[in-house]
Amino acid sequence: MAGLPQLIEEDMRELDAAVDELLRFSEAGAALLIDKGGPLLSQRGAVDKFDATTVAALAAGAFSATDMMARHLGETSLSHIYQQGRQAGLLISNVDDNLLLVVVFPAETGAGAVKYYATAAVARIAAQMQKAAQRAPGAGLDLVSLNTLDLSAVFRKRE
Amino acid sequence: MAIINQASKELHLKIVYYGPGKGGKTTNLEQVHANLGSVQEKGKLISLATSSDRTLFFDFLPIEAMAIKGFKTKFQLYTVPGQVIYNTTRQLVLRGVDGLIFVADSQYEKMAENVESFQNLEDNLRALKLNLADIPYVMQYNKRDLASAAPVDYMEFLLNNRDVRVPSFTSVASKCEGVFESLNMITRMLLNKNINEGSRTAV
Repeated sequence: MAGLPQLIEEDMRELDAAVDELLRFSEAGAALLIDKGGPLLSQRGAVDKFDATTVAALAAGAFSATDMMARHLGETSLSHIYQQGRQAGLLISNVDDNLLLVVVFPAETGAGAVKYYATAAVARIAAQMQKAAQRAPGAGLDLVSLNTLDLSAVFRKRE
Repeated sequence: MAIINQASKELHLKIVYYGPGKGGKTTNLEQVHANLGSVQEKGKLISLATSSDRTLFFDFLPIEAMAIKGFKTKFQLYTVPGQVIYNTTRQLVLRGVDGLIFVADSQYEKMAENVESFQNLEDNLRALKLNLADIPYVMQYNKRDLASAAPVDYMEFLLNNRDVRVPSFTSVASKCEGVFESLNMITRMLLNKNINEGSRTAV
């Protein structure tokens, strides 16, 4: 697993622009860009209506489980999973080896439109990620320059 | 490897509790959730469990803490399902892991399961092209209050006898003893590792 490449501001601007365009054209409510391990990378739209951190972790788990199930059935190219509820729908799209795009949309919004615009957004995000990977393969950040606090007890028990 | 988001000044770290079934992994998370001081922002504890309260997929607890000045450190604590049949699920939860707490059951009759679970951890990491030697982890010997608890030295010999011995803690997770000690140690090891090596970076 190569992991996420180093992303610069230009990358994040392009990723956010792709997601914003998806939200505008599809009339979906919110979208999350998440690492397949669970962490949330970017959130756009009406994300204050739900707990984005938890939804990201659950979406990563759901996609991984469905992907693994598909592999056991001989399918290796799972691109989306989709759930329709009474009030909201959810689309999780595979971006590349590292990222997933999660789109939350109102039930009255057409799932077909969301999927159509999500496919375009995924292509745009994947292209930018590839650009980032080629720009600085293996680059990281030197954390030595950061100012660490006392690491002996980051978590404190309530007295 | 940890993810750093410089634009929002965030560091993401994923810690997974691993170990045999009914060893106390979920109890660790419940105790952290119940007893965390007010300084940290904790999220909801999510448990994907069966009707009989056995972990089916994972338990998940997000916590925000301040470990680096000016940076929000976002911890994601996960448990794996301990039962043997859920091995594929364990592999999925290990994806993107930064650090591990191996929760062993101290009862004599559980030693074979402890050893098997530890070997299973190494196998699953290998399947993800990861090596245990590269991932910070600590041992937690749980259920020390039970009469049938094996001596700590014996458990160290069975489970913690590699070239580099990792820090180990005794615990009674149901009473929150040893829970924060293990979590703070793995956090310290993780942050020190990332400080020395750098991390995946998102601006």
